[in-house]
Amino acid sequence: MIKFGKGNLRIPKWTRPVYAVAGGMTDFRKKYPEKKLEELTMMAFRMMLEENDLKMDPLEIKSLINFACYGEFADHFQDQLLCEAKVHDYLGLDLLFNIGVKTGGATGGSTILSAASMVASGMADCCLALGWERMDEVITWTGNYYISTAACKDFETRLARNYASYYAPMARRFQEMYGVDERVRAEIAVKNRGYACNSPFSQQPGKHTIEEVLAGEIVSDPLRFLECCAMSVGSAAMLLCTEELAYKLTDKPVKLYTAGGSHTLRTGDRRPMEIPLLPHETAGDYEKLYKDMEKQKGRWPGFESFGATRFAAWLCYRMAGINNPIEDLDLIETHDAFTISDLQTYGDVGLTLYGDEQEYVRSGDCYLKNPKTGKQGKCPSNLSGGLLGSMHAVGATGIFSATEIMWQLQGKYDKFHGDPKMWQRFGKKKPADWESLQIQNNPKKGCYVSHAGVGSHVTVGVLEKAW
Amino acid sequence: MNETVKLNTTKTKVTKEGNVWVIDLPRFSGDSGTHHHTLGLLTPYFAGLTEGKLMATRCVNDNCPISRGKGELWLPPRADCPDCHQPMVWEEIKNPAGEIFSYTFVERGGMGLEIECPYYQIDVLLPGVCTIVKSYLSTRNRKIRIGDKVKAKFRTGLDATNTCLDLYWELGG
Ligand SMILES: [Zn+2]
Repeated sequence: MIKFGKGNLRIPKWTRPVYAVAGGMTDFRKKYPEKKLEELTMMAFRMMLEENDLKMDPLEIKSLINFACYGEFADHFQDQLLCEAKVHDYLGLDLLFNIGVKTGGATGGSTILSAASMVASGMADCCLALGWERMDEVITWTGNYYISTAACKDFETRLARNYASYYAPMARRFQEMYGVDERVRAEIAVKNRGYACNSPFSQQPGKHTIEEVLAGEIVSDPLRFLECCAMSVGSAAMLLCTEELAYKLTDKPVKLYTAGGSHTLRTGDRRPMEIPLLPHETAGDYEKLYKDMEKQKGRWPGFESFGATRFAAWLCYRMAGINNPIEDLDLIETHDAFTISDLQTYGDVGLTLYGDEQEYVRSGDCYLKNPKTGKQGKCPSNLSGGLLGSMHAVGATGIFSATEIMWQLQGKYDKFHGDPKMWQRFGKKKPADWESLQIQNNPKKGCYVSHAGVGSHVTVGVLEKAW
Repeated sequence: MNETVKLNTTKTKVTKEGNVWVIDLPRFSGDSGTHHHTLGLLTPYFAGLTEGKLMATRCVNDNCPISRGKGELWLPPRADCPDCHQPMVWEEIKNPAGEIFSYTFVERGGMGLEIECPYYQIDVLLPGVCTIVKSYLSTRNRKIRIGDKVKAKFRTGLDATNTCLDLYWELGG
């Protein structure tokens, strides 16, 4: 049983507010031999400085940066320790200080959290958050081996040496406890990969059918090929700053709140606890769930849910004044590394109650256009294409998700995804049937989740329109 | 395909530093590319497996805010209690038997996997243990379900690998 002390549940209180003003990214590919890693980070950095309608010259903005936080998941992939130093020098930011951030799959989100803390504390007025991953130097199975070394080497790594195999038992347990229909999982893959077709940044766009997903080969039982994200190469960047600077730099500043949670590297070591309730939940909401869990020898968070995600949302919603996520959030980017993790997240972040995740997807509220009503869903998810359709260049991923939310709130989906020149830049042609996925009806708040492996680290961020 | 899962690995070399086992983990070829990884205070667990014993730890500190001196067992074991930071004590689990909490059928592992695919990786719920143990099943030709009963088996003596692979499970009560 985990019990919290008073101080453990303190809501983060920043000394001053933090704003996101600009974002940039490369496209994402399985292999990217055309450019060195530093050259890719320059692409993201330049897009951030030059293409976000900022009201100063790009080099003048660069001269305002005081600090840089860099996200990279694994040194193994490039066999390069301290790649941060190479990137920082290459971007021309010496002698400023920089730090590297590593929290597994949540590295991107943690990089934003670190950069935000620099601004909130006064350490910096203007801070760069930039992340990357280059996973194409080795074959996929060696890449899998490297990733699996993020399991416990004494007790678990030797049992599969393939990270999906540490994740799959959680998927299995969730699936059986909540009676998940595999068609619902397949529907998530179809939705997110379909949305990816409208993004020039996407690595794995595709117009698939549920039948096609279900006919696919099993990668790690019960997950099939199209239900898993791929290894990526690419970079993403975001510029954070003070309130004063934000309004000088842009007509469309976006306020940022973010917090994180952690919960053991080994899934089995998660001790049970009471569900930390989000602002809109009551203990009564879960009476039945606790009884059902007892029957199935279940526990919370068990293998079914992510305590770290719930804890991060618990803190972040209170920072950001989110009282009821389904009413207050206009859109979300989940960390959909697998279809099942997308599904699990809807309960963790309170878009629905735990146990009702499948019904939530069936309701259609996670679509831009709800297939049931034909109207905009209440909280469309992964309009970027998500990890399944667009990318998982791990150290960049959380920054990619946050940037896509920021652009949506700024009404810039079409600017970054619909311009034929953007497609050309990445050697692609804008599809004839391209559709705008710009969310309508004046969206005010969006959420992103950045998540590591079996849930060891998670950050949740809320971005809020501030003009 | 054989009914029983086999390992394709060699015995991991152990060097003894007093009571502690330091195991060799080769990264590149040859001695110069080998990590010498200590098992530290958890040596009794790994040494225990090679003798057919499943050793776990328990907090017996009366002042521990969670265990109150009567803690549940930890498996994987820990030398120190995370709740009160005092040393835990060792206890053998006799005739370990539990049930499958979850599982996956690993059809293809990553590079360097020492277990012959395919096989079931299983998570085992054991009475009196506060954690859930990840391990593998010797049987692979049968469909299994959450809740199926399993009992512990060990690789001992000459068969021992001196790693976590020395613990595995077979179906049955
Ligand atoms: Zn204790």
